[in-house]
Amino acid sequence: MTRTAFALQTTPQVNEPELIARVLAGDRLAGRELYNAHAPRVFRLAYRLTGDAELAREFTQDTFVRAFQRLADFRGDAAFSTWIHRITITVVANAMRKVRRLRERETDLADLDAVLPVNSSVRRLDPDLRDRLAKAIDALPEIYRITLIMHDMEGYTHTEIAEVLGVAEGTCKSRLSAARAQLRAALADFAKEYES
Amino acid sequence: MTDRNDSFDDLLHDALRNYNRPPDEREMPLDDMWQSIQVQAFPGRSRVSRYARWLPVAAALVVGIGIGRWTLVRGGQPTTPQPTTAQATVATSPAPAPEPASQSLDPATSRYLGQAAALLIALPAEANVGRPDQPFMKRANELLLTTRLLLDSQSGNDPAMRNLLEDLELVLVQVVRLEKERQPSRRTELELIQQALDQRDVIPRLRSAASEYAADD
Repeated sequence: MTRTAFALQTTPQVNEPELIARVLAGDRLAGRELYNAHAPRVFRLAYRLTGDAELAREFTQDTFVRAFQRLADFRGDAAFSTWIHRITITVVANAMRKVRRLRERETDLADLDAVLPVNSSVRRLDPDLRDRLAKAIDALPEIYRITLIMHDMEGYTHTEIAEVLGVAEGTCKSRLSAARAQLRAALADFAKEYES
Repeated sequence: MTDRNDSFDDLLHDALRNYNRPPDEREMPLDDMWQSIQVQAFPGRSRVSRYARWLPVAAALVVGIGIGRWTLVRGGQPTTPQPTTAQATVATSPAPAPEPASQSLDPATSRYLGQAAALLIALPAEANVGRPDQPFMKRANELLLTTRLLLDSQSGNDPAMRNLLEDLELVLVQVVRLEKERQPSRRTELELIQQALDQRDVIPRLRSAASEYAADD
């Protein structure tokens, strides 16, 4: 897969410690500058994880509100980017549990036997690979799904993912392998069709 | 078999890229999100924002009244611009006092000049945050429209006022264009605007009107 290398390309060019100090002093413009430097990546990640523009917007806002409110707790041990991505993952994962529960209830009511992705128009017997893949990704354990999305879709390095998720790089790599293996297994019949 | 597996993996990877594909950065609601964030994250600043909202009005009052009085003074001098037909008719009638040219500077015009001054003074601060926000750009667009209307109105007949309006139009066109510029060229545009403001003395000219009023008062 061609990496977007988005992560490295958008490394902020601003003096973040100084900006953070200004935000802590109540400087709204410094807050905006910090936001400008990180919001596009946070929004992209939230969108990938939710597949819904409104949810991505809501979670991005929530992420930054929390970040600014807890900025005094940021000690600078890790990069601000890592810290804000941790908040993003926490915000999205917590909120999506509720969203999924709601969706599952709706799904039961609709008498469907598969859990559909949030934004998808996927239907159970759709043979299209993209739709099958979306269902397979949605069915992955959340921690595998996050790793796959961050690495294969958004171009984060294993080091970055490991820092954000607070795990060892090796763990990150093995989760990615497991996620890919599960996808291949879920799409095995499609692969056979493709080979024949 | 391996080749086939590789091909399938390539196909898989291509399909993966389309999973929950986010919009392009230009289509992200970054400004809208910021509006919500700042309300919640900087509640203590709302008082300042409320105060800031009154700044253009205050500037409008100071500069607007100043310009009004300034042109009133000029209206009594022989250098008053040529009156319109309607004004000439009024001037030849014996009863009323001569209509000053400043009559064209109605409260709306004065308010507009004050708002233009406030906007241009605020521009460097807006530029510091990377890009002027939506309300700022909206105000710039409105002021540009008013400038053009005024240029076509009686106000444009006064050479000094016309000169000022033309300079304001030039600067405001550049400000409005900032919205469509991406970051590197936006910085260049901002520098050009600053140059235009400096070279044409736009803000000092607005201020001089106010100071002339203060000196006469």
